[in-house]
Amino acid sequence: MSESLGMLELARVFGWLHELLVDTGLGEPWVTIITYAVLAVVVFGVLAVLALFLVWWERKIAGHIQQRFGPMRNGWHGWYQTIMDGLKLLQKEDVIIATRDKPVFFWAPVICFVAAFLAYVVMPFGKDLIVADLNIGILYILAVTTFTVISLLMAGWASHNKYALLGGMRSAAQVVSYEVPMVVSILVIVLFVGSLSMQDIVTAQSGNIFNWFIFRVPFGPIAFATYIIAATAEANRTPFDIPEAEQELVAGFNIEYSGMKFAMFFLAEFINLFTVSAIAVTLFFGGWNGAILPSWLWFLLKTCGVVLLLMLFRWTYPRLRVDQLMRFSWKFLVPVTFANLIIGAIIKYAGWYW
Amino acid sequence: MTREELKSYVEGHFDGKLKSLDTGRYDPIFEIQPSDLITVAKALRDDESLKMDFLCNLGAVDTCEKLEVVYSVASTTKNLRLDFKFSLPYDNPEVDSIKEVWPGIDWYEREIWELYGINVRNHGNLKQFLLPDDWDQGNPMRKDWDAPDFIRMPEV
Amino acid sequence: MPDLRTQEYMVNMGPHHPSTHGVCRLILTMDGEKVVDIEPVIGYLHRSLEKVCENRTYAQCIPIMDRFEYVTSMSTNQVFSLAAERLAEIEVPERAEYLRVIMLELNRIASHLLFYGTTAMDCGALTPFLYGLRERELIIDLFEMTCGQRLTYNYIWVGGVSKDIPPEFEPKCREAIKIIGEKLDDYQGLLNENPIWLARMKDVGILDPDLAIAWGVSGPVLRASGVKYDLRKDDPYSIYDKFDFDIPTLEAGDNFDRYLLRIEEIKQSIRIIEQALDGLPEGPIRGKVKANFKPPEGEVYCRIENSRGEMGVYIRSDGSKKPLRVKMRGGSFNQLQVLPEIVRGKGYYIADLVAIFATLDIILPEVDR
Repeated sequence: MSESLGMLELARVFGWLHELLVDTGLGEPWVTIITYAVLAVVVFGVLAVLALFLVWWERKIAGHIQQRFGPMRNGWHGWYQTIMDGLKLLQKEDVIIATRDKPVFFWAPVICFVAAFLAYVVMPFGKDLIVADLNIGILYILAVTTFTVISLLMAGWASHNKYALLGGMRSAAQVVSYEVPMVVSILVIVLFVGSLSMQDIVTAQSGNIFNWFIFRVPFGPIAFATYIIAATAEANRTPFDIPEAEQELVAGFNIEYSGMKFAMFFLAEFINLFTVSAIAVTLFFGGWNGAILPSWLWFLLKTCGVVLLLMLFRWTYPRLRVDQLMRFSWKFLVPVTFANLIIGAIIKYAGWYW
Repeated sequence: MTREELKSYVEGHFDGKLKSLDTGRYDPIFEIQPSDLITVAKALRDDESLKMDFLCNLGAVDTCEKLEVVYSVASTTKNLRLDFKFSLPYDNPEVDSIKEVWPGIDWYEREIWELYGINVRNHGNLKQFLLPDDWDQGNPMRKDWDAPDFIRMPEV
Repeated sequence: MPDLRTQEYMVNMGPHHPSTHGVCRLILTMDGEKVVDIEPVIGYLHRSLEKVCENRTYAQCIPIMDRFEYVTSMSTNQVFSLAAERLAEIEVPERAEYLRVIMLELNRIASHLLFYGTTAMDCGALTPFLYGLRERELIIDLFEMTCGQRLTYNYIWVGGVSKDIPPEFEPKCREAIKIIGEKLDDYQGLLNENPIWLARMKDVGILDPDLAIAWGVSGPVLRASGVKYDLRKDDPYSIYDKFDFDIPTLEAGDNFDRYLLRIEEIKQSIRIIEQALDGLPEGPIRGKVKANFKPPEGEVYCRIENSRGEMGVYIRSDGSKKPLRVKMRGGSFNQLQVLPEIVRGKGYYIADLVAIFATLDIILPEVDR
């Protein structure tokens, strides 16, 4: 499958780079540091381009759902619209309010941005295409993506604005509530795979398409449904976008941010969108498994499919109220996911699965 | 009840407190004494065959000689409508608040207080309403009001 | 936790806030996410239209009235023209009356479509807004075809209407109301049974009918509370008594009923327009009115049923060519006034407040004048 595109395998590129650096006569710590730095830049670059693409894509999809075109002026169907928007935000004056909490205000977008990228350390983009296959992969992802909520709370607090503070508080309450069903729905899959490593989860679904966890009834589809609902909430998207809630809190936590600081929040949001979709693909849709096409392309296509699903949610549904949101999580999602976990455990114990 | 019947009914009842005027061009209009306002309002609202439960409008008029206050009321069940009004002197005009009869008159009373300078007794919430917070140039809807930047429309 | 100290805090919602439909300022007293008390502060759009009207002749007042309530400026034209006609006893030709009814009802549909869009948007659904505006566009095109304007029409004049409709108006109008009638099902399919929409709308913002009447609330808001009161039937003006249509009423008086009732009203308006187009007679479109006519001394308070309730105008004439006093009354004024009564003490969330504000369909130029 990916043999024909062997050059893309990270290990080989790594090895080639490593040899090149050793040949120049550098000492050992430096060789490792430089190779990892190059790797980080590559992954970061790919993801930044991806985020720009997602922004453009979302605007096109929103436009077509709403019977308009979306961006059309810059290039074919406005393909470099987001690049121009990014340039505009870069040039914009960075308006900083005088009453802010200085260090917190500065670090909030940075933490948000960094936390969004950290998850990709263990993300299996394709066969052998993974930065580090940690044996606690999925646990690591769950841990680092939760950093985002700290940054949102920081932004809300530091802005010295009641709307922002309300937005930050809502965000904290929401993420704490939805982390539980999300983790429990993932646990079912981990239970069956018997490993937390992302690559192990993908290989467990290799071969037949019916090996994907989404098709393993009854627990698979339920776990996917609960996961995707919780993931929508994690990614702060409609119908769970109450931290931003334009019509209630104006812009929520990012009300006082402008220019590049705002762009960092904005891009991080789309990276998070891609992250939760990528996790869904890895856990339920067989990850990079697929025939004929190269594995990394399969991964991208599947992820874009899940992203499309989340975008359709966003442009069709109204927003939930804050108390309804909490009630839905604690009174519906949490019991359902726990029941699903128990069912899964019974099936696993009895061996009624393929 | 037609408009003529309404007119004679109102004149015949309420102890003659409402006197019919001939200035009304469509619906009947009556004149009352300012001191009778609350009694008349309550009587109109509670009368079995009128049931004037709906306050449409309250407007003040500056006729250059005196101020007039016009109440437009209607009935949602009997399909009736009438106006009643009274005159006030130009200096220190005062009316009673009838919030207890029709609570919806609250903001209308604030409006005539601010724009015409008619003091509303027992209103309790007379504060800056439509005009800017730092307004100190009097009551702009009065005919004699003038300000440096106010330009009257030339005659056509 | 007896030692935990909590306190209420103030939030300034507006004057520039995405969901106050203009420039309204609501001073909220909040307890966490819940709204404890609310005080509307208005006047940011006060243009002193009443004073302006006192300095103009009756014909010159009509464009000023357009600015009074620009979402349905046909109604503002109509109410002022009607009052001036009653004051000066001017006859209106029958064709003009039919044209007025067609335009008024088209404008009511346009206003309700805008309501549909903005209400959905205030609850977080962005797509219905575009759908509502898309069909509104058909109506705005019809107005543009007739009088050249898309927002402030200055179409209904004292004694008739300003221009006759072009020949292509009738087929286009029939097509437009047919499309809107079909699209209504789509609109309802998108929201009516959506569980999130129901959770946001049902049993929120309940307005008691007695409270509504006492506070002078009128129009769809009053009818959603179960009071069958529509001036088109109860105090007929123009030629509304010639048409066959129903006054829909609903019982609960919550946000959802207010939304549903306006959708029903669009259907009734379509019925009226169809009948009016069928019965449209030939003839003159303006009665004999002098440009600077002088009505006799007198006063009149005239009211019509607007898409936001009772729209009234009080005109006092002193026998000259300019009115002595013009007092405008808009439905939004009373509906904004009753907003604190609906919200206070019920423990609604800030999101509910936004939804209630939207379903009351308040627009601020009508409040501030």
